[in-house]
Formats: sequence, structure tokens, C-alpha cells
Amino acid sequence: MLPKVAVTGVGVIAATGQGKAAFVTALLEGKHAFGVMQRPGRQHQSNYLGAEIAEITFSPDITQRTLRTCSLSSRAALVVLQEVWTEARLAEADPRRIGLIVGGSNVQQRELAQIHEAYRESSAFLRPTYGLSFMDSDLCGFCTAQFGIRGLAYTVGGASASGQLAIVQAAQAVLMKQVDVCIALGALMDLSHWECRGLRSLGAMGSDRYRDQPALACRPFDRDHDGFIFGECCGAVVVESIESSHRRSVKPYATLRGWGIVMDGNRNPDPSLEGETQAIQDALDASGLLPAQIDYVNPHGTGSATGDEMELKALRLCGLTGAYLNATKSLVGHGLSAAGTVEVIATLLQMQTGRLHPSRNLENPIDSAMNWVRGKPVDHQIENALTLSMGFGGVNTALCWQRHHA
Amino acid sequence: MNKTKLLELIAQHTRDVLPGLDAHQFTAGDRLADLGANSVDRAEITMLVQESLRISIPRIELFGPKNIGELADLFLRKLDAA
Repeated sequence: MLPKVAVTGVGVIAATGQGKAAFVTALLEGKHAFGVMQRPGRQHQSNYLGAEIAEITFSPDITQRTLRTCSLSSRAALVVLQEVWTEARLAEADPRRIGLIVGGSNVQQRELAQIHEAYRESSAFLRPTYGLSFMDSDLCGFCTAQFGIRGLAYTVGGASASGQLAIVQAAQAVLMKQVDVCIALGALMDLSHWECRGLRSLGAMGSDRYRDQPALACRPFDRDHDGFIFGECCGAVVVESIESSHRRSVKPYATLRGWGIVMDGNRNPDPSLEGETQAIQDALDASGLLPAQIDYVNPHGTGSATGDEMELKALRLCGLTGAYLNATKSLVGHGLSAAGTVEVIATLLQMQTGRLHPSRNLENPIDSAMNWVRGKPVDHQIENALTLSMGFGGVNTALCWQRHHA
Repeated sequence: MNKTKLLELIAQHTRDVLPGLDAHQFTAGDRLADLGANSVDRAEITMLVQESLRISIPRIELFGPKNIGELADLFLRKLDAA
């Protein structure tokens, strides 16, 4: 079994709230923010549905100079990192021993498309900062400059599994003693109308069925699901050893006991029962946990007809029928690159509060025998949780989390 | 376009890039670096001026001017030649 690595800080922003307190309150109240998307560059001869962050509140020390060339993805990263910086008391850690892993690739597409459109006929006047900002690793540069991080920083990509891959990478950096503390960031995926079109054309993004009823469109695991609904979000978690957390007297939320990463050998978006089952099995084996010990699962659950069905089959095959199950994406939407991190945060906050959030629009579950949390929150003390994220290109990831008993 | 107007334009774009300078009284002797502009900020400021004037100047020529007065002179020469 792996040495214990713990999460000692979480920071999050979604369309339903900024900061963990607002985020978890919204989850437990079953709030959503779905509508026809309004952000400039999101629509072109279209009415794509999604959940957008209305406003980001910055602390007073963030200057206009900093924000002027700061993309939406960077702005979201800034506020979630500030949140973890305070909670995990990172000001007390050696900056050379702090790392940052950014989960996601091609995350700033809307801003890039806006610039391309603005300068198509006058490219000689393109802003020089474009030469920096077009790379996702600008997020690493921006964040390490803002927070004085001097350890390692780089991006990892795995489509919608990026957020969980970033956590695994952060855990590995800690286990290999490359750094003492490593932050995993699930970057805000900023889709332009081009990506929305591609994802719709591919059949991944919904909703034709609920075009005129945005509140009903996002319905993972419901019989009337017709694809995922996008949701802007971003999350950060601080990963470190228990010993390291003691040095700054910070309290672990939970420990990461094991994980599984399995490729299907399939470039396409379609899921694989074999891959998902293997990833779950690998995570359980690495954790030394039996299926019956897992009492909560935070599934990938996008609302894709084949994806939802395959995932429940995989859970059944792995003997995970007794665990509580809810769909965070039914409230937050699908954050793509950020989803894995944000859903781990949802899991840890539910573990902390002792309550499980409802699943919106789960009126007729495709498998009614599963232990769903549906219309109302449920009081439950999570002991061992499993979180799942899958990505296009055949990426399957499963993480096992255990409550930390001091 | 005269030198006063050009200095005003440079001041305006310097304030765009460095919002902290709203109260600063710009003079021809001001150096962008002394005002807190790093190399990327300086590139942004000179590009914004070029865009406003619809005139494109090779980067290498923009390294010459030592202060915003000299920068204004360079833009004036280019405008005359255009």
C-alpha cells in the first residue's frame, strides 16, 4: 500500500458559487445556474446551454494591472489558489518545496478565438502578450509568479480526466519527494463556440430535447439524458504527506489511498466497460479496500447515454452497488478539464459536512436499483469514497479516498 | 499629429497597461522602465500606439528611444515618411 498522502486544502469556484462554503451550500440545496450561455464568443448561430460564472470576486490586493492580461482561466485559478493558500497555510511552507500541477490542455480556447477574430485583418497589431498567453503553461507562469512558487510546475492533459490526473501527478510528486506540498489545479475550460459546435456535432454535448428548458437539460443517469451540459468551474487541492501537514498544523480532509489509470487503446469518445472496470479495480487494489468498504461513489456521470450506462455497469461489475451515488454534474455542469478536481472537492466537502448532495433531474434513473441520492440531501458520514473521471481518447481514472482519523 | 498629441497617446496607452499611473503627469523625459513597465509591458504599450496610429514599426527600431519623448519623435518620423 502507498504511504499516506493527504489533501489539506481545497478551493473552488463554479457557476453556483465561489469558495467552498458557497459551493457546498449550493450543492446541498440542489442549486443550479443553467441557461443559454451569454459569455462573448460562446455563441455563433447557436443557443448552447451551460452554466456560466456570473462574477469573480478578487481580494483587494489583486491589482488591475494583474487582471488586465489575465484570462478567464487564470482569473478562476487565482481565486481558488488564494483559497487553498490561506487554508493550507502555504505562506509557512518553503516556496522551493511547493509544486503546482495544472490539469487541462487547450483550456483558453474562447479567449484565443476572440483574439483571432479581432485581429484577423490587422494581425500586425496583435498584442505581444498573445505570444505568452496562447500556451496553457501560461497558467503555470502566472500562478507561480503570483504565489512565489519555486518548486515544479507543469500541465497535464487527459481530456475530461485531466482534473483527476493532476491530483495523481501531484501525489506522485509528493511521494517521490520532489516537493513537500503540491497543488493540483483543475483548470477552467473556456470553450468558444467552435468547441461547443464540435462537441455538439460529435454527439457529446446535449441538449436537443430540452433546448427551451435549460433547467431540465442536465440530467445524468436519467432516462431522458441526451448529452453533457457544460459548466464553468475550477478547483484546487493541496496534496502532501501527513508529516508535512503536521509541520504547519493543518488538518487533512482525507487521504488518497490509491488510484487506477487505464487506457482503452481507443482514440474515440466512446466509453469502455473493460477500461472503467479495470481502473476501479486497480484503485481498490492499490488502496487495500474491498468494494463493500466503499460507501460513496462520485461518478463521472456526464449525461451521455452510453457513458452513463457503461459507468453503472462497471460499478455493478466491481461490486459497488451498496455505495451512495449522486451526480455532481447535475448541479455544476461538466467542467471538462476541471471536472475531476471539482468533483473530488465535492466529495471531500460532503465527507466533511456529513451530508450528501441531491442529484437534479434524476426522475427516472436508468438503473433504479443503485443507491441514489436523488431529490433531497442525505445525512451520511463518508468513510471511503471512490471518484471517477473518464476522458475522450479512452482515458479511465479512479481514485480511492479515506476519511482521516487523527 | 504633433509631438504633444503623440505624448498624450503614449501616456494614454501606458495608463492602459499600467493602471496604477492614473495620477502621473507624463513628461517627455519619462522612461517606461522607470514607470514600472517590464519588457512585455513596453512591447504592449508600443503596439497599442502603433495600432492607434495604424502604422507598423519593426521591433528593432523600437529599441532605440531612451524615453517617451524620443519614442514620440520616432513615431512622428514614421508618420511623416508614411
